[in-house]
Amino acid sequence: MIYFESLKQQDLTYLRDLLFELTTREIKIRYKRSILGIVWSLLHSLAQIRIFRFLFGTVLALNIPNYTAFLFIGVLVWAWFRTALTQGTVSITNSRELVNRPGFPVAILPIVTVTTSLIDFLLAFPILVIFLIAGGSPFSPALLLFPLIMIIQFVFTLGLAYLLATIQVRFRDMSHLLNVALSLGFYLTPIFYDVSAVPAQYRFLYTFNPLVYLLDAYRAILIYGQFPDPLPLFSISLLAGAMLFGSYTIFIRASYGFSEEL
Amino acid sequence: MVKDLGKQFRRYHAQRPRRFKELFVRGLRWFQPIEHFWALRHISFALEPGRALGIIGANGSGKSTLLRLIGGVGRPDEGRLETRGRIGALLDLGANFHPELTGRENVFVSGVIAGLTRQQVQERLNDIIAFAELEEFIDSPLRTYSTGMQMRLAFAVAVHTEPQILLIDEVLAVGDIAFQQKCFERIRQFKAEGCTIVFVSHETGAVADLCDEVIWLRAGQIVAHDKADSVIDQYVTAMHAETKKRTPAQHPPVQASSGVELRVNENRFGSMEMEIAAVRLLDSARRPVTELESGQPLSIEIEYIAPQPIPNPIFSLTISRDDGFICYDTSTAATGVITPTVQDRGHIMIHIERLDLNGGHYYVDIGIYERDWAYTYDYHWHVYPFTVQSGPHKHGILQLPHRWELNQNHHQLIDTPYLERGLNSEAI
Repeated sequence: MIYFESLKQQDLTYLRDLLFELTTREIKIRYKRSILGIVWSLLHSLAQIRIFRFLFGTVLALNIPNYTAFLFIGVLVWAWFRTALTQGTVSITNSRELVNRPGFPVAILPIVTVTTSLIDFLLAFPILVIFLIAGGSPFSPALLLFPLIMIIQFVFTLGLAYLLATIQVRFRDMSHLLNVALSLGFYLTPIFYDVSAVPAQYRFLYTFNPLVYLLDAYRAILIYGQFPDPLPLFSISLLAGAMLFGSYTIFIRASYGFSEEL
Repeated sequence: MVKDLGKQFRRYHAQRPRRFKELFVRGLRWFQPIEHFWALRHISFALEPGRALGIIGANGSGKSTLLRLIGGVGRPDEGRLETRGRIGALLDLGANFHPELTGRENVFVSGVIAGLTRQQVQERLNDIIAFAELEEFIDSPLRTYSTGMQMRLAFAVAVHTEPQILLIDEVLAVGDIAFQQKCFERIRQFKAEGCTIVFVSHETGAVADLCDEVIWLRAGQIVAHDKADSVIDQYVTAMHAETKKRTPAQHPPVQASSGVELRVNENRFGSMEMEIAAVRLLDSARRPVTELESGQPLSIEIEYIAPQPIPNPIFSLTISRDDGFICYDTSTAATGVITPTVQDRGHIMIHIERLDLNGGHYYVDIGIYERDWAYTYDYHWHVYPFTVQSGPHKHGILQLPHRWELNQNHHQLIDTPYLERGLNSEAI
């Protein structure tokens, strides 16, 4: 019986291929027949950076060194997080046919959305490198930790996506709720400013935002060439892992009912 | 490979709120299902490898639910279900296709979704394309394909997955007749190779053709489970009984468009929810005809009246001899045509390119059926006559376009053109 209890039961090669095909399909579909194609995702981030630089570099100067690179990291990390969550939330409800398909491992769908948005992140990376070099950021062994931070973010985002996708199946307002939360989250996350600029009495609020630690780590590695603070990074990895485990379990339990609800 | 012991299951039809408003109104009762109903209950059967099982029944009888459960979609609330072997599915064909991607890209995506690895798709790519007969178009975007072409491609992918259990849901009535035949052939081949088949359909003909045994479901319960012919006979009898039950006792006799008087239960049957208002036989210039020459085209226009909206009715056409012998029989469903929901007056045409019937007196029998063939709306039997004129052929039903070719020793070719009215052009 193919009760897809977990992804483990399926052949790993097959799952890799499935992930590859579904991800490339998403990316191909998104940019097919547009002239600039995948460049659009980059242009969007660049435009955002341009406006922030004008606002917070010129109008309300925040005086952050190498502000362009600082901003770019913030914008890219946030874009990955936001796109992955908004699309991950509807990944089940928008794939009625796949959910009803015998033998299809439904649990791969949130992974596909998180991976698809990761591709945008990676494609913008060379541009970021140019900004980093132009800003005089040092190359240091700390760069080796960069993939690790990405993995932590991946796991963290995926854990959230499983949970939100499960809720969305039964409660369709979830995606709208998420949009509200994300537009607030954008300002409550130090994307275009630094946490040190926040008055001390509010700073504790930021200790609950896992993205703060991730952004700190990215910036430490990329801009300053320093090793990030290991303790918060360690605790956030634990949190991300535990959350992924928990929400994956909830997801799998609920997945038997998905076909009824769609 | 399939051993399905006892399976009962419950499906709850909870009207759970999916909106905020309802959530507030109902509060925590949110989690309580409001209504339980059994979509399937007390279903038990076992199926040996290499056997084909048909599942028939009206819409909502649980056929598709059962099929999906066998495929592992959802979980039974009662009983047990066991399957052994790799499951392949022929359902919702082409649903994974994306119009902007090329045929080739779509083959990869849907092949992998169907359970193949990329390498396996790559190995079978040429076979798949050849099976779909789409060599020249494979690198064009799918939106440039006709529906038939898309179906061919979808089917080609689906049949190249080597399943041990194949689940089929109503997909065979797609594409042209030749391709349907090819698909059926391929499915028979699967069966011969030991693949177990579960086939859900309304087309009793197709089920009888493919299946060894048949389960007839009604309201989630098994009505009959036996050899294919026996269950289908029972089912068809029940369908006729249903029609009879629904046929209004008092329906005034009316004159058909051919002048024949229509009398319920004599030459007219059905529930009359939708009626055949007129039937016209037309020649190539759209002039009404009652007499035509063999080999000529014939168009038949059926005018209907549906006071209430009728979803996807099936239209059928039978050409029968005056002794009742059926020369030809077809329907929108058998041709893969799905009609929309119809209401008020309208008409549907069927064009027959050549009517290669032998000379004689014939009738066009027209029927309109419920979309699952559950019962008949209206059926006119031996009401619309026509005559075919042909050459000096006494026996047989058909008059086939043909010529004789004789090869003598001296490699001398003698054509003996068979001259006949209506066939001259093909003769030489």
